[in-house]
Amino acid sequence: MSDQLELLVEMGRHFAATQDIEATMSRALERIAELMGAEGGALFVLEGDLDEGQFVCHASHGPVNIKGLSIPVGTGIIGRSVANNASEKVWDVQNDPSFNKDLDTQFNFTTRSILCAPLSVKDERIGAIEVVNKSGGDGLFSDEDLSLLEALAASAALAISNARMAGELAEKEVMRRELELAAEIQRGLLPAEAALGEGFPVCGVNRPARVVSGDFFDYFTLYDGRIAFTLADVSGKGMNAALLMAKTASLFRCLGKEDLRPGRLLQRINAEVCETALRGMFVTMVAGVYDPATGRLVLANAGHEPPLLYAVGGTFLALGAGAPPVGIPPELTGGGPVPEEVHYLDGGALYIFTDGATEGYVADGEELGADGFMAMIQDGVAQGQTPQGRINAVADRLSSTGLALRDDITVMVIDDQAPKQQRLDDGMTHTQDNSETEPATNQPIEGSLCAMTVPARAASLKMVRRAVDQAAEACGFNKEQCQDLVLAVDEACQNVIRHAYGEMQDGDMVLDIRRDAGTFVILIRDFAPPVDVEQIKPRNLDDVRPGGLGVHFIREVMDDVEHLPPPDGQGNLLRLKKAI
Amino acid sequence: MDIALSEQSGVQVAAISGEVDLSTSPQVRDALLGCITGGSAVVVDLSAVAYIDSSGVASLVEAYQTAKSKGLSFALAQISETPMRVLKLARLDQVFIIHDTVDEAVASMA
Repeated sequence: MSDQLELLVEMGRHFAATQDIEATMSRALERIAELMGAEGGALFVLEGDLDEGQFVCHASHGPVNIKGLSIPVGTGIIGRSVANNASEKVWDVQNDPSFNKDLDTQFNFTTRSILCAPLSVKDERIGAIEVVNKSGGDGLFSDEDLSLLEALAASAALAISNARMAGELAEKEVMRRELELAAEIQRGLLPAEAALGEGFPVCGVNRPARVVSGDFFDYFTLYDGRIAFTLADVSGKGMNAALLMAKTASLFRCLGKEDLRPGRLLQRINAEVCETALRGMFVTMVAGVYDPATGRLVLANAGHEPPLLYAVGGTFLALGAGAPPVGIPPELTGGGPVPEEVHYLDGGALYIFTDGATEGYVADGEELGADGFMAMIQDGVAQGQTPQGRINAVADRLSSTGLALRDDITVMVIDDQAPKQQRLDDGMTHTQDNSETEPATNQPIEGSLCAMTVPARAASLKMVRRAVDQAAEACGFNKEQCQDLVLAVDEACQNVIRHAYGEMQDGDMVLDIRRDAGTFVILIRDFAPPVDVEQIKPRNLDDVRPGGLGVHFIREVMDDVEHLPPPDGQGNLLRLKKAI
Repeated sequence: MDIALSEQSGVQVAAISGEVDLSTSPQVRDALLGCITGGSAVVVDLSAVAYIDSSGVASLVEAYQTAKSKGLSFALAQISETPMRVLKLARLDQVFIIHDTVDEAVASMA
């Protein structure tokens, strides 16, 4: 008896400490068989359920190694023992109706007697442990043997059950950690709140309903000071939505720096997403470009909830979608660019949000709604909240109800800081009627006087000339000087159109007309292949022939002409200077 | 930009008005070369030109050279301030035959 107790204590300790139940079980079988004088033993684990599972041998001791052997549930003495959750002591195995003689034949073994104890914890059936063929004495297992096996079975069952739970927990923990990592990477894809400094006109907020989110927003400053932005909602909320979100966000970042037209950008993103996207998943997406210098906003909407254009005075205008969502194959939709619309914010703002914001609950069963959203924004404006403060207030309200979020909440605002001077855009004056509030000022404007992006086409030159003329006049140049400056910039733009882009290419020119420390500066950027600066020479004027005069005009008029390395090494950048 | 063609004592008078730039200079070129291939002497009235760039100047140069090669007279007349400044910048005020008035130019070709 003391040997038996010692064995139980030892096995209990092993089970508690082990990571490898099978090895411990093999050892236990060996010890118990030795102690009882049994010929062999085996541990069977139930895989599946009692209706259609099987018992698989996970540990075996004795003359025949049956590890891996599987027995259908409902058969054999093991099956009976587990089904009844009761131990079996069978002295005359060969005559037992449940005994399967085929296995004896298969292993060339004769089973005479069996002692079998089921493994179970509460209602969970785990399997059974059995020993066979007691040698010595009368060759029959005793009640004492049965008690010992039952005790061993109890601690083995507990050990297996614990190990299983620990495994599940560990797996869940791994999943949880992976989700958190994914969420962290997702948060990294969103622009940092303070990265672009206080007073940056674009900001957003994102509150995922689960750990990861299918929503995103992004914005970044383009070379010429304009800001490209996007907000999107991927169908679904789980990991697949999060992954498609990451892909779409990356496409926006990459392609958005190349393509300044939001409608064409969405078309390109759609083509990319459709190449690989999972069927049935789509992304509603708004993309746009905002020019803080002019308040001009170009917007393209692919199937997204209508953004709200807020005008000073408190009115809202909903801007509907011009095309189906991203993810709908181009062959189904015709595949053109998403239509664009142009608005001037005029000191107002544009609010873009996902339906998680308007369909979020403010109380049980009560949605915020578009009206509620607009009311909150109006309140925020009235209370003098910052743009970030206003949209945070919406997100806070929806996430402080004590209810789980119904959907991810994402809100972004483009807040036009009311224009302080007459704004020039596309060569047309766009006047802000603020004569009552604006104090008269005679201070010369420093920095950018006019920034514009135009297609590199002859038809754009008229606008360019008008913008240069107005800016030059504002800097105090006389009429003749203004004419000369207009000619020089026109000629420089012609070179971009005719030589940089050439006949075959279509692209944009970005002009920035500036007053920097008493100098009139014009920066002209294109996105064409780099021009060989050595090839650009003023012509010899004695050689009278058509063409080639442009560079001569530019050099004649300007004090300084320099080809600068373009930002990101893309395209060409020309700087023209003339002292004021 | 607009070009008005008229005949005066057997000379084609092309009166250009408005802005001559990259998008409109091909029309100027075609009109002037058309007159010259038709075999007539040409006077270009630049009194109403508000703007001209290098491509417009190039059209004038090409027309002048073509006329010369055919032994036809070609002159500019009544050049307003803005195009004159551009011609001077290009030092072409020394190259073209320039008259103060269209009548004077036509008379010189008789």
